[in-house]
Amino acid sequence: MTNTITVELSRYLPETDKAPWYEKFEVPYNDDTSVLEVLHYIKDYLDPSLSYRWSCRMAICGSCGFLINGEPMLGCKTFIRDYSDTASIKIEPLPNFPVERDLVVSMDDFVEKLATVKPYLIREEEQPVDEGEYLQTPAQVDKYKQFSQCINCGLCYAACPQFGRNPEFLGPAALSLAFRYNQDSRDQGKKQRMEFLNAEEGVWSCTFVGYCSEVCPKNVDPAAAINQGKLASNIDYGLNLLGLAGKKQ
Amino acid sequence: MNRNPYLQKQPANWWVKNPYYRFYMLREGTAIPLFLYSLLLLYGVYALTQGESAFNQWIALLRSPGMIIFQLITFLAAVFHAYTWFELVPKILVLRIGNHRVPDVLIKVSHWGACIFCTVMILVSAIYFL
Repeated sequence: MTNTITVELSRYLPETDKAPWYEKFEVPYNDDTSVLEVLHYIKDYLDPSLSYRWSCRMAICGSCGFLINGEPMLGCKTFIRDYSDTASIKIEPLPNFPVERDLVVSMDDFVEKLATVKPYLIREEEQPVDEGEYLQTPAQVDKYKQFSQCINCGLCYAACPQFGRNPEFLGPAALSLAFRYNQDSRDQGKKQRMEFLNAEEGVWSCTFVGYCSEVCPKNVDPAAAINQGKLASNIDYGLNLLGLAGKKQ
Repeated sequence: MNRNPYLQKQPANWWVKNPYYRFYMLREGTAIPLFLYSLLLLYGVYALTQGESAFNQWIALLRSPGMIIFQLITFLAAVFHAYTWFELVPKILVLRIGNHRVPDVLIKVSHWGACIFCTVMILVSAIYFL
C-alpha cells in the first residue's frame, strides 16, 4: 500500500541564502518508509541538490539527526507511518548547531567538546602486556555500560536549551562521556576530568531539563550522568576544601 | 572551501511549542510562589519582633480570602515541585547493595514517606502548641 505525504524541508544554500527557507515535496511512502528514505527519494527523483548526512541506516553511526516535527530524532529510526495522521512532516537541521547546508550542521565544536573530557582510559602506570587484560566483574561493567552506548549523534545538544543559550556549555554527550570513564574501574584519570566537570561550563550549567535523555536514541540518559556528576563535583569540592583531594597528575 | 554557516539562535519563546519544555518551565515556575511565600513568612518573623498586635495583624492578614487563595496556590506548587523532584531523584541517587541497584520505585517511595512523615509531624506539633 503506497500513500503520499507532504514533506516540508528546511533549505539553506550558503552561496546564495542569508537564512534558511522551506520547500515542500510530495513523497510516496509505505509502512516501512523511514524519514531517511524519504530524503533519499527526494534527492534521487525530485531535487538532487538536497544535502543531508547519513551512513548506516540502522541507528549506530549517528549521522542522520534532524529536527522532525520539532523533535530531535534520527532519520533512520523515525517512520512516516507514525505521522500518517498529520498533514505534513517538517524536517529541519538540528537546532543549536551552525547550519552548513540544507540539513547538514557543523559538528566541529561538538567533537572538540568530546575530546576535551579525555574520553579514554587513563592509567597512572600501564600494566605490562604479559600480565594480560584489565579484568572487570559484571557489576563493574554495569556501572558505566549504559553511558558508553553514545553514538555521538548530537540529538541531546539539539534538545538542550542550556546549550542553546550558552554554546560554551560542555553539554550532555561530553559530560556523559566523562562520567562513563570516571565510573570505569580500569581508569585512573578522574582527577584530570574533574577540572572540566567542576567548571561553570561543566555540570553546573545543567538545570536538569532532562529532554536530552528523552531524545537519546540509545537510552544513554545524559541527564542522569550529568546530575550524578554534580554529586561527584560536590564531593570533589569538599575534598579540595579539606586538602584531601590529592594532586592532579 | 568557502564556508558560510548559518548560526541558529535560540528564540526567546523556545519553550512554548514543545510540551516537554512547557512542563519544565512549569516545574521551575513553582519557585515564584515559593519565593513569595518565604517573604510572607519572613514578614511574620519581623511582625513577631514588633509586638503582639503586629503579629496578630499578620495572622489576620493570613486569614484574608486573597491570602488563603495565595497559600493554596503555594501549597499546590510545593506538592507539584516535590512530585517532579521525587521523579528525578532515582536518576541521581544510585544506591547499590552488593551487586544490586536499589530499585527506583523504592527510592521514590522512601522520599514520599519522609515527606509525608515530616508534614504530619509539623501539622501535629502545630496543632498541639496552638
